[in-house]
Amino acid sequence: MAQLASPKDSRVNPHGRVHRAAAAAAGLRTLRIYRFDPESPESPRLDTFELDAKSCPMVLDALILVKATLDSTLTFRRSCREGICGSCAMNINGLNRLACTTAMADLKGEIRIYPLPHMPVIKDLVTDLTQFYAQYASVEPWLKTRTPTPPDRERLQSKEDQERIDRPAACILCACCSTGCPSYWWNSERFLGPAALLAAYRWIVDTRDEDTGERLDQLEDSFRLYRCHTIMNCTDVCPKDLNPAKAIAEVKKMLASRRY
Amino acid sequence: MSWRSALGRVEGYGASKEGVGHWWTQRLTSVALIVLGCWFLVALLALPGLDYATVAAWVRGGWTAPILILFVGVAAWHSQLGVRVVIEDYVHDVGTRTLALALACFAHVLLAALGAFAVLRVAFGSAA
Repeated sequence: MAQLASPKDSRVNPHGRVHRAAAAAAGLRTLRIYRFDPESPESPRLDTFELDAKSCPMVLDALILVKATLDSTLTFRRSCREGICGSCAMNINGLNRLACTTAMADLKGEIRIYPLPHMPVIKDLVTDLTQFYAQYASVEPWLKTRTPTPPDRERLQSKEDQERIDRPAACILCACCSTGCPSYWWNSERFLGPAALLAAYRWIVDTRDEDTGERLDQLEDSFRLYRCHTIMNCTDVCPKDLNPAKAIAEVKKMLASRRY
Repeated sequence: MSWRSALGRVEGYGASKEGVGHWWTQRLTSVALIVLGCWFLVALLALPGLDYATVAAWVRGGWTAPILILFVGVAAWHSQLGVRVVIEDYVHDVGTRTLALALACFAHVLLAALGAFAVLRVAFGSAA
């Protein structure tokens, strides 16, 4: 059956370490951050950090400040700090978002930061995305053709054709959508999840691709595709404003139209 | 502990090539239920009373009984499709899931049969 409670060792101790600010300041903010150390026998805990965040426009800036000044063991992924690499995806105040594009000013009161939900945690805010990437690889996200490439030019595409893949191709694989989807939580081993399905859709509607039927065959499965129950958390949380739910619905329509 | 690669695990036994039929039937039966449900409500509200004798007389008349049996059948069918999804979502042990799916299927066929039998009994039975 579905596991409704976390295993005992995974239950979060809400009373972790507290790092109080030395003095009251106008920009004082409180961050409550999930901590887990695989090398410690301790259960995960929520640490509290008070910091003067006036020099931190974004949540990622605050995390970097915490790591630099309060606790150097805090572990999180980050790279581009401008919403294009997808590394700093985490659960902030209950929503999956990128720490680098989430403004501190938009979050009221205490800020609760957890790793992406329902993923194995490696350390603190870093989750194991191996399966997520394998799901992406399974949709074979590259151009497949039988017609040889024209010798004198690239494969042509109309402006309208390009517009169909413009948005889906903007996915940065941050995993906010898949890890925000309850269907993915319950069946992540068999449901491909919104990110991989959006990638599949991006190649299905690419007019240069000649493998559409085979791609649809690979998705026609009651778990791989049809675990999507149109909950739409994916679309709700996507930091790039993409619409995986619509892409999945389009794939379902294509499968129905080739059958009936 | 398995050394199977992550991609190998995701690929599993491959795509079942099944799902579109279930998805389409679920939508088709839901549209049919809207029509049949509206007909049922409107017909009941149009009756002079809702006592047994009045309703039984309505069931005996015209096309009511066959449409009622259709309503019961489509409702059971739609429910079976929905319950199947819930079981697939939440029951992960293969043995338990197979058993639950089989039981749900039997239960819905039984419900549909009992519903149809009840309608026929009123339609062809005695007035009491």
